[in-house]
Amino acid sequence: MSDPTNVKLRVNNSELWGGLIGLVLGVFVVWSGLKLKLGTINDPGSGYVMFYTGILMCLFAVTIIIAAVTEGGATFGSRWTGARWTKPLVVIACLIAFALALDRLGFLLSTIPLMLLLLRLIDPVRWSLAIPIALLAPLGVWWVLKRLLLIQLPAGIFEIG
Amino acid sequence: MFQSGRLMIALAAIGVLMSAGAGAQDYPTKPITLIVPWPAGGSTDISMRAIADSASKILGQPITIDNKAGGSGTVGPATMVASAKPDGYTIAQIPITVFRLPLMQEVSWDPAKDFSYIIHLTGYTFGVTTSAESQFKTWKDVVDYAKANPGKVTYATPGAGTSLHIGMEQIAALAGIKLTQVPFKGGAETNAAVLGQHTMLQADSTGWRPLVDAGKLRLLMVWTSARSPNFPDVPTLKELGYPMVYDSPFGIAGPKGMDPKIVAKLHDAFKKALDDPAVVTTLAKFDMVPNYKNTEDYKKFVTEVTNSELKVIETLGLAKKKN
Amino acid sequence: METLLNVGQGFGVALLPINLLYCFIGVFIGTLVGVLPGIGPISAMSLLLPITLSGTPESGIIMMAGIYYGSMYGGSTTSILVNIPGEAASVVTCIDGHQMAKQGRAGPALGISALGSFIAGTFALVALMLVAPSLASVAIAFGPAEYFSLMVLGLVVLTFLTQGSMAKALLMACIGIVLGLVGLDSITAQPRLTFGRLELIDGIGLVPVVMGLFGVAEVLINTEQIIKRDVINAKITHLLPNKADWKASAGPIGRGTILGFFLGILPGGGSVISSFASYALEKRLSKTPERFGNGAIEGVAGPEAANNAAAGGAFIPLMTLGIPPNVVMALLLGAFIVHGVQPGPLMITQNPGLFWGIVASMYIGNAMLLVLNLPLIGMWVQLLKLPYNILFPLIILFTIIGVYCSSNNVFDVYVMIAFGLIGYFMRKLGYEPAPLVLAFVLGPMLENNLRKSLILSQGDLFTFVERPISAVCLAIAVVLLVGPLLPSLRKKRELVALDEGV
Repeated sequence: MSDPTNVKLRVNNSELWGGLIGLVLGVFVVWSGLKLKLGTINDPGSGYVMFYTGILMCLFAVTIIIAAVTEGGATFGSRWTGARWTKPLVVIACLIAFALALDRLGFLLSTIPLMLLLLRLIDPVRWSLAIPIALLAPLGVWWVLKRLLLIQLPAGIFEIG
Repeated sequence: MFQSGRLMIALAAIGVLMSAGAGAQDYPTKPITLIVPWPAGGSTDISMRAIADSASKILGQPITIDNKAGGSGTVGPATMVASAKPDGYTIAQIPITVFRLPLMQEVSWDPAKDFSYIIHLTGYTFGVTTSAESQFKTWKDVVDYAKANPGKVTYATPGAGTSLHIGMEQIAALAGIKLTQVPFKGGAETNAAVLGQHTMLQADSTGWRPLVDAGKLRLLMVWTSARSPNFPDVPTLKELGYPMVYDSPFGIAGPKGMDPKIVAKLHDAFKKALDDPAVVTTLAKFDMVPNYKNTEDYKKFVTEVTNSELKVIETLGLAKKKN
Repeated sequence: METLLNVGQGFGVALLPINLLYCFIGVFIGTLVGVLPGIGPISAMSLLLPITLSGTPESGIIMMAGIYYGSMYGGSTTSILVNIPGEAASVVTCIDGHQMAKQGRAGPALGISALGSFIAGTFALVALMLVAPSLASVAIAFGPAEYFSLMVLGLVVLTFLTQGSMAKALLMACIGIVLGLVGLDSITAQPRLTFGRLELIDGIGLVPVVMGLFGVAEVLINTEQIIKRDVINAKITHLLPNKADWKASAGPIGRGTILGFFLGILPGGGSVISSFASYALEKRLSKTPERFGNGAIEGVAGPEAANNAAAGGAFIPLMTLGIPPNVVMALLLGAFIVHGVQPGPLMITQNPGLFWGIVASMYIGNAMLLVLNLPLIGMWVQLLKLPYNILFPLIILFTIIGVYCSSNNVFDVYVMIAFGLIGYFMRKLGYEPAPLVLAFVLGPMLENNLRKSLILSQGDLFTFVERPISAVCLAIAVVLLVGPLLPSLRKKRELVALDEGV
């Protein structure tokens, strides 16, 4: 094998890890099914379907692992070539911060800063464009939802939004 | 950063306090969600929609119905006590299974502690139906068939542990037969099951009425104390030799810890709604008799029901195993 | 003849100016809520229900119905434009619709979905008029065993949605089933896999899962790319489907309509299964199945037609038996009842004006929708010309709104973020989200019906092959599963042989 991005039994074989995660989840589901009681075939219990689904999960995960070991799989490095992996991280961080703020600050006060952050942090949009978008989009949506469709949005402690 | 974070928390705390103070005075300022733990289209759903509609006019805010069916009508209330704030904006219909299921198995709620009971509203008329094409013409046919074929007679209920399930098991015990219960989620589903003859019988509240009127279903018995004026030819349980009456009364409640002022506002609105002619007509359509109890009486009633249910369940051998 | 007379009477009711106005308001609101992903017709309808009470029963129900099928039209817009399905049934539209948009063919994709919906909607209404009463029996012919087998068939259809590894797709499907089972058991009310989190008692919401796996994950994947700036990497050619598009789509629309109409009658996941099944069918019939997943217009036309025909079929059990097949129909049932009309076997004879008036108004509503939606296509396509660094914050904004509005709970926003991350890694490792979503929707129904049918049959597994409808479903499932497996196995073996040769 001359292809450096395709490896077999190596720690950086991404296929192998995908299968292993699947297997762990499968075992967990089987165990949860057992804990919830299988019942009898005349009157299946809460864990009946979960148990058998878990067994299937293990089966498929093992198939993936076997394929990863025998045929090899792409390395983690090759899957992330040319990717700016910090950018998705920034987006996720912004979203979590937003979710924390949503109930406390209300819809408008948390959405406008979120929009501004996303517009400026990933691929900066010039301020003269970013500010109007960050203001107008949430305001417009807020108006349509609240006034036209009478849908509730969190108002927050300042009762705006 | 740290400083402003703390400031934020302080501001948030003040805000929460302020909004809680203002809440009871202005309540309600936004739509109220009423959880109906049965699928849409059944008798409970339709009657609750009529009552909610009338109450919402009195409260001045829309009441939206949220159908959270399953677990014999307990999934909805259990979800409410688990996740809703006791701010009066989330309330639920409380069927009798909320009191009965904890006696039969492990559950996530405690009926004595987890609810703020608001008002008791009405009860059901139950009946047992079969498809019009079925071989069963009367209840006696069912008993005869079941004696010859133990366990072969299947009946659809709106869930395990519902009054329909318990009632049918009591009837079976008295008649000396064995029936097999198939738990569905509510009236709309049991209607389809018995119409398609997937189960031989249906035991449910009056959601079957339009189908009985249309001649698609045959009503074999009703569980009221006297014959229903809508079906004068159908015998009651007593007439068939089973000394029982089942009506499974229900009311509404919110999560524990609701402001008494909000409870009072809701109670007044729903009490007025019970007298609304539109509600009276809808209830009559489903043979539901208003059974009003105020907040205090409802609380007492919960204890009484729990005690009497425990006796029935123990005699049937369905009670929760004591550890 | 009698039908024609009735239809005439119906149009008489529907063409009253006040009813036309209500119909327009209904379809307008419907289009609006349909375009906003996550905000389904349910919340809009339940909030507007009291308003409709002021008028006559006809106008109230005409407006409610307008919201319903209006939202069905709008549902595919965001799937095609930004890969965010507005509802479970639109998941399948994403697969080829968004690819088409990337190739600069958003116009034809949107056009074929609007026109396909119109054709399917019209056919469904004609069928509703002619055969509604006689098809009522189809709705009740399905008992627990039949539903179980139908769900199995639905899951087998999954294998057609995937371009990658079968094992991965099946693993995703299993995970979807398990995720669907989270929450209180629908039979015993026992909490399952809730990890003591109160919010999970109610189960995981579909909207946050879909928004996360599709919307947020797509944004994450796109933001990490340096070179690819725009959503589209080709010039926008034309706005409406051309002759070749029509030729390719005619068959799929026809088959999708029939499939959707019949599956729509079934209470439960009819419309979701119908859109997936239509996609699978077209891929199976196609001479060039490899185009599916890379912007095949058939993969948009068929499922969209099926989806809308199912919306028409769903009226049958409601109007003829009083059994609502989904929550939207239940809301309509509520509207009927509040107006003093009891849907059921007697409704068509007791209230002919109402029944035929509503059906006629749906014709008019469908035409209004077409007029309303076709000009919008130009506007939507313009939206794609925005640079991605401006577009993606807007996409995030709409996913957040959709998620929050579907439950009014911030917890669901966290669920969406989590599934966004999961979806990102899934894509990186070559796992596809569509099988997970379908299994997530079907899983709880599969479980519930399996348990009920085993109780009914007293644990006898033969019940699934003894009952004819159930047996047919399972037989199709087996054919679908085994049929394509044989040649692909052979191909794989040849490939392996080649590898060793080198």
